[in-house]
Amino acid sequence: MMEPRDLASPAPWRRLLASRPFVIGGILLVVLVLAAALAPILAPHDPLRGNFRLRLAPPGPLHWLGTDHFGRDILSRLLFGARLSLAIGAATTLASGLAGTLIGASAGYFRRLDEPLMRLMDALMAFPAILLAMAVAATLGASVGNVIIALAVATTPHTSRVVRASVLVVRELEFVEAARSIGATETRILLRHVLLNCLGPLIVRLTYVFAIAVLAEAALSYIGVGPPPPAPSFGNIIAGGRDFLVTAPWITIAPGCAIIAIVLALNLLGDGLRDVLDPRLRP
Amino acid sequence: MLVAFLFRRLGGAAVVFLLVSMLAFLLVWLIPGDAVAVLLDAAASPEETARLRAALGLDRSPLAQMLAWYGGLARGQLGHSLLLNRSVAEALLERLPITLSLTALALAIAVVFGTSAGVGAALAHGGWLDQLLMGVALFGLSVPDFWLGLLFIIVFALGLGWFPTGGFVPISESLAGWARSMTLPGLALGLTQMGFIARMARSSMLDVLGQDFVRTAEAKGLSRSRIILAHALPNAMVPIVTVIGIVTGALLGGSVVIEQVFSIPGVGRLIVGAILARDFPVIQGGLLFLAGVYLLVNLIVDLLYAVIDPRVRLA
Amino acid sequence: MKTTFGRRTMLATGAAALACPTVLRAQARGGDAVLAIVQAPPSLDAHVTSAQAARNVNLHLYETLFARDENARPVPDLAAGVRISEDGRTYVFPLRSDVRFHSGKRLEAEDVVASLDRCRRIGASASLLAAVDIVTATKRDEVTIRLKEVQATFLDNLSSPRAPIAIYPAEEAAKPANQIAFIGTGPFRFVEYRPDSHVRLERFGDYVPNPNARGRDGFAGRKEVSLNSATFRFMPEAGARTAALEAGEIHVVESVDGPTARRLQGNPRLAVYRALPFAFQVIKFNHALGPTADVRFRRAIVAALDMEEIMAVSFPDIFELDGAWIFPGTAFHTRDGTERYNRPDPALARRLLAEAGYRGERLTFIVDNLRSNVDTATVVQQRAREIGVAIDLSVSDWPTVSRIGFTPTGWHFWAHGFGIEPFEGPGSVMAPWVNGLSQQRPDPAIDAMFADLNRALDVSERQRIFARFQAHMWEQAVAIKAGNYGLFQAATRRLHDFVPYRIPRMWGVRLDA
Repeated sequence: MMEPRDLASPAPWRRLLASRPFVIGGILLVVLVLAAALAPILAPHDPLRGNFRLRLAPPGPLHWLGTDHFGRDILSRLLFGARLSLAIGAATTLASGLAGTLIGASAGYFRRLDEPLMRLMDALMAFPAILLAMAVAATLGASVGNVIIALAVATTPHTSRVVRASVLVVRELEFVEAARSIGATETRILLRHVLLNCLGPLIVRLTYVFAIAVLAEAALSYIGVGPPPPAPSFGNIIAGGRDFLVTAPWITIAPGCAIIAIVLALNLLGDGLRDVLDPRLRP
Repeated sequence: MLVAFLFRRLGGAAVVFLLVSMLAFLLVWLIPGDAVAVLLDAAASPEETARLRAALGLDRSPLAQMLAWYGGLARGQLGHSLLLNRSVAEALLERLPITLSLTALALAIAVVFGTSAGVGAALAHGGWLDQLLMGVALFGLSVPDFWLGLLFIIVFALGLGWFPTGGFVPISESLAGWARSMTLPGLALGLTQMGFIARMARSSMLDVLGQDFVRTAEAKGLSRSRIILAHALPNAMVPIVTVIGIVTGALLGGSVVIEQVFSIPGVGRLIVGAILARDFPVIQGGLLFLAGVYLLVNLIVDLLYAVIDPRVRLA
Repeated sequence: MKTTFGRRTMLATGAAALACPTVLRAQARGGDAVLAIVQAPPSLDAHVTSAQAARNVNLHLYETLFARDENARPVPDLAAGVRISEDGRTYVFPLRSDVRFHSGKRLEAEDVVASLDRCRRIGASASLLAAVDIVTATKRDEVTIRLKEVQATFLDNLSSPRAPIAIYPAEEAAKPANQIAFIGTGPFRFVEYRPDSHVRLERFGDYVPNPNARGRDGFAGRKEVSLNSATFRFMPEAGARTAALEAGEIHVVESVDGPTARRLQGNPRLAVYRALPFAFQVIKFNHALGPTADVRFRRAIVAALDMEEIMAVSFPDIFELDGAWIFPGTAFHTRDGTERYNRPDPALARRLLAEAGYRGERLTFIVDNLRSNVDTATVVQQRAREIGVAIDLSVSDWPTVSRIGFTPTGWHFWAHGFGIEPFEGPGSVMAPWVNGLSQQRPDPAIDAMFADLNRALDVSERQRIFARFQAHMWEQAVAIKAGNYGLFQAATRRLHDFVPYRIPRMWGVRLDA
């Protein structure tokens, strides 16, 4: 059940394409990414420019999803918001993947580093991520970069644990012993043999990191420590509707649905990947 | 053996605790501004600001403040809030029941609904009910909890008027009032975590159903419901218990935002307010406290796991 | 906030108002009022905070020697009056003999001395007492204050509600900041404070309304309480505040937004009040850094802005367009300089930009996360973009923003409200611009005008000085006053005689069962 896996072999791809969650999630994600990428073409209005005489307009033929209290078009803001959301998610995933791999692999492979690194990760995990992000935002100021830093710091401990666990397993397997016996250096073994075989669980974990980042970015923006206005992030749009829950609920409802679509697509994708790449976790 | 394991874990927790307090200090030290800004309006003169800063003891160096704080901690004191006119311990203790009752309710909702859905899906393995339940679980995982809270407010509080839009009624004052004030936040928080437990419960139940003793029981002619309730379910609960540690961490984090959405005066809002107001002793004490709860729950889960599965102790 | 009260003599004699119908009032006693306020008071130690949220509660608990009447003029409150010496440097305050603290102790001169000393040491508005040389208890119920120099505004300062110079019992006044027991002389006494939830106050049974005053009058006057208790609940979420009001859980809401106010007006069980003007919305420039140091650039920004848009977005339905740096209807209100206010002219703005030599530098607009301030910054950013000025918003919480905003680097624009300053009068409006405090570069013209204002004892002379100041503010575009804004307040119709003011006063009102 724990045979080393080679991603280059054709089998996983064929199995992925046969996985329904992967295909559905993938199609949904492609559609959403396209919508975000083509936002400048698709958006009917300027997402930043308001008409204060058309404030809080309900959904209608001119503004399909209504306007906010500046009179800005919600649909256009959502399309541009998806760009921001996906960009923050992707950057967080990359950062969490790099930092998590570095820390997790070092901890798993070099026994002396294991205890200090993992206790530090435990300490970070014991902080609610949202408070950590608030503190980062208060320190460095609210900005897209700082949101990514905060989310990366919050997601790295778990990623590093996933990598460490895989490394611990792979380290003891025969082919690593074999590499060692033919005189390969430790770094080379770590890079060539161990890490390559951790890729499966890591990819699965990172898909979920992406989903978590999209959710967390919205929560951060909602409490006012996300990308600064007028950036049309999903959380900013929801926060903008907070005072108008009765008079203009569309401001709050639409971005929530957009978040669900993105996160659902990522979770489906993650499930599909997990089934194929990480059978230990298969439900 | 178990005692040695316990001591090793406690030692680890103490190290983590120390690291958390140092991280908290680092944050506090890095955050610009101080509590004086909250007390003064924008027209305060520099002299007034300096005078008040000295009156609150904020003119000392960060190192001196840190040493004073650890000195207090050694004597078992978390210090005095700069703004709330009470000690940090008092401020935390009066919030504790609120946050605990919210997370406990959310956890109960997540475990009860999640386990039922997961077990139901496992029993209907491959059927339409399995697909439906797992679809719902996946959907629950994809919904932002604070947004679900806002949606509940729009529909059930502002629209139908069934529940208050926020606030908190202590259970000692009125049980019905408490239930009314906790229902929407508890659901918003619990339902989004439900999906996680449902998926766990399903896979664990499927594992158990495929094992030898279940087949033996079937061969012995026991009724299916008896097999499930008396044999399969207790065994399937083991992995579910272990994810409670992870879910508790998520719930503690989630409660911070949910407490904002529903204006619930819990520990999360205390700390958020303290960060916004730069009430440093409260930030310190609060973060340490949350970390303590998280570590404690995970310690208990590890112990449970060790009791259930002796191999863990050797790891 | 228009007033119907006339000017009161400072040396009121006791006998006149003793016949007030307290017996009649006593019949209507009762009721537990619950108020929703947006922010929690940062402290209930009145000396150490000048925040608006603190005044809401603290001015029910504590009183001052002199207090502001409905027209913001100083009148005696705990003092029976004042005698000012010929040289204008000695003030003798006889204390009212009928005042008790919530602890039951009688108010005596030593309490006043200790409280004033505490304000001078750690008070958030210690500068108001900067002219004081020595405070002495000359009799058991008489306090004498000796000034270092003549100060025309001394009684204004002493009665300022900003960080009230509240009179505490001497033993409380000996305690450090934020560690006191909340004991005052006010018409309500402190019961309970739960952070992030509420403050509960109760009618102070032994309270004697000021016999020298008639009726409710600003922060002074007769404070007759018929309620049993008043609970201030902190409710930051706007939707929650109105829903609780509609459900009957609370009786007064400190602030509702325009669209909601319009909706609530249709509810026969609720009354909607307008407190307008309540404050100014101001956009400050950093005169020490980059393009905003150049008056032509600042004028270009003024010319780029449509003040109606800023105010309508930031304060829907509850604003007035007014370029004067003092509230309309007050003695110092004047049109001087306001011909430059709200004249949107993009062509002029671009010309001024070119003259100022602006070359596309990115500028920083700092703003705290209060929605109306973010809204103002967002509109300014958008309009500036249209004349080719690139502005980044930097939104942080108040402590960070106010830390940056009082330094010469890290910001170019900063928007926030000025509420208590225009209420207090011209001196308070000018003070933030003295020594370059708010614009980060001293402006000798303003400093000279401020010194003149403090010396001038004649009202018309003071008016002339203030008119010059206002013209200077617009001419040099020192800062932009976008307009006056107000608060919609809403209350159940079961609450009678409620009149909006700087705080939602719970004296002089009745609540039907």
